[in-house]
Amino acid sequence: MAEARAAAAAREFNPWPAAVFASLVMLALLFLAPTVGVLLSSIKTTRDIAFGNLWAVPNRLYLGNFAEVLFSPAVHQYFVNTLLVTVPATAASLALGVLAGYVFSKLPFRGSNLLFLALVSGMFFPPQVILIPLFRLFNSLDLIDTLWPIIFVHTALGIPICTLLMRNFFATVPNALREAAILAGANEWQVLTRVALPLSLPALAVLATLQFTWIWNDFLWPLIFTQSDEKRTIMIGIVNLKGQYSVAWGVQGALSLVASVPTLIVFLFFQRYFIKGMTMGAVKG
Amino acid sequence: MADLALQQVSKSFGDTAVIKGVDLEVPEGEFVVFVGPSGCGKSTMLRLITGLEDVSSGRIFIGGEDVTLEKPSKRGVAMVFQSYALFPHMTVEQNIGFGLRLAKLPKDEVSRRVREVAATLQVEDLLGRKPRQLSGGQRQRVAIGRSIIGNPKVFLFDEPLSNLDAALRVQMRLEITRLHQRLGRTMVYVTHDQTEAMTLASRIVVLNQGRIEQVGSPIELYEHPRNRFVAGFIGSPAMNFLNAELTSEGDGSELRMGSATIRTGRIRGATDGGFPATFGIRPEHIAVAGADDAHIAGKVEIVEKLGAESVVYCQTDASSEPLVVRAPPKLPLVPGDRVHLRFDLEHMHLFGPDEAASPPPAGKP
Repeated sequence: MAEARAAAAAREFNPWPAAVFASLVMLALLFLAPTVGVLLSSIKTTRDIAFGNLWAVPNRLYLGNFAEVLFSPAVHQYFVNTLLVTVPATAASLALGVLAGYVFSKLPFRGSNLLFLALVSGMFFPPQVILIPLFRLFNSLDLIDTLWPIIFVHTALGIPICTLLMRNFFATVPNALREAAILAGANEWQVLTRVALPLSLPALAVLATLQFTWIWNDFLWPLIFTQSDEKRTIMIGIVNLKGQYSVAWGVQGALSLVASVPTLIVFLFFQRYFIKGMTMGAVKG
Repeated sequence: MADLALQQVSKSFGDTAVIKGVDLEVPEGEFVVFVGPSGCGKSTMLRLITGLEDVSSGRIFIGGEDVTLEKPSKRGVAMVFQSYALFPHMTVEQNIGFGLRLAKLPKDEVSRRVREVAATLQVEDLLGRKPRQLSGGQRQRVAIGRSIIGNPKVFLFDEPLSNLDAALRVQMRLEITRLHQRLGRTMVYVTHDQTEAMTLASRIVVLNQGRIEQVGSPIELYEHPRNRFVAGFIGSPAMNFLNAELTSEGDGSELRMGSATIRTGRIRGATDGGFPATFGIRPEHIAVAGADDAHIAGKVEIVEKLGAESVVYCQTDASSEPLVVRAPPKLPLVPGDRVHLRFDLEHMHLFGPDEAASPPPAGKP
């Protein structure tokens, strides 16, 4: 009897959920592995790492790498530079995206759809195509090795996605709300700031998080536009932290973790809006 | 002096003319209802009056001033939207006081006036709530509150009751009537529901395809519709229409509809000979009669028992559409019964081929 039941259970065994589960676990491990590797290397001495046992759990917790990173004036400068780029570029691209999105959604004019398409098509330009012209442009303006080109480029590159997302979100705000506000005496700026924007916090939170993370983690543009160590941002800083004869894995690991803290804070801050915003069907590609 | 006047107002969207040269004068304190089928332009008319849409031609006067080019907020109008259009992120108090805060009135004055309005509309207990925490009727009250707080000259309502259930709609209808009596302001109300129009209006404006078909008091429109459209639109159940052949000779006229023949005094304006016409009669002006004095015979198809009356649908040979009759509730009629019907000719309507109403027969009021 029991054998019969066991046989029936074996026949009913569906391998698909098990296979999917196993694949997901594998993928999760694969994605987590680099982070774990960085974490492990950040709490080991250079000597431990040099012995080659990168994935072993260390015998004792070594926080020297973190101390070195946190007390290094160069790292402080990297952080300041990155903040000086990320905060204004995020704010500027968001502000311009909000204004453009509002106009495209609530105040359409002749040819506005075409203009919108042209603007959004900016998302599809690979950076390699505009890299050299932009370098020459900023070089001619004598802005190379300053933070300005990075701010300008990130603001400009952020406008299409910000406009797209904000336009689509504003489109969900009923026109009757705008009209009710106008009848009550509001001008367009007041409609935007008092009615449309407060209703668009989820979209703003998504955009702020995406833009902040994207700009903070960027490697390419700071590499192109800055040369001296005083103007480098954090991602270039991580690479610069190698020793004279060997790579300082421990210190680099520690800085990588410290560098990801601000984006984590931004995400946690906006998290409650983030999930709601992500379901709008528009994510940064 | 008219509180609201429209002079040859037209509106086109591209090549499509939506409002075609409308003239209308609304005296101060009147409750005017724009009524008409979907797409007749009634909501567009309202938006033209508010200034949310610009007129293509013509002029609009409010309180004697030409406001055609004036900004919506400077026209002295307030509007209650079909969707209420309450700001979801604001409390009831903030919603009602929105306009006053925009006008930068002192906080304590805003608060005082919001409380006054809330007391008038019995929403004082809801001031701290957000719109999503309100029922449909409460939202409607708040929307009305937001419109009356600015003390406008003209109130505009765009199908404000269409999202409410039947019972609440009747209640809100009464409240809007009371509000009109209390405030004594000019109100323009848009609806496609002719019952709402009949119960609320001092005057009804019937719109069709961007034109005014007729303007008049509810009873005037009900008893003396100017054309077949108005006759069919006003009244529920709607007026019965039968295709007829009208012949006039000497001092008499004769109408033939299927097997029915009706003789009346000479229809005024009817020339000798035979003409096609439409005979109209309201359901309450048809009675079940004996075979001898009936005008037409038919077969009962459906009986709707409404309590106070029954609505009986009868198939006749005069029309493919059933003839609708309002009958006493206790009349023992069941589907399949054969009935004889008599028209009350005092209340008949006759429409010519152009669908305009003919004058009543000679010698009748």
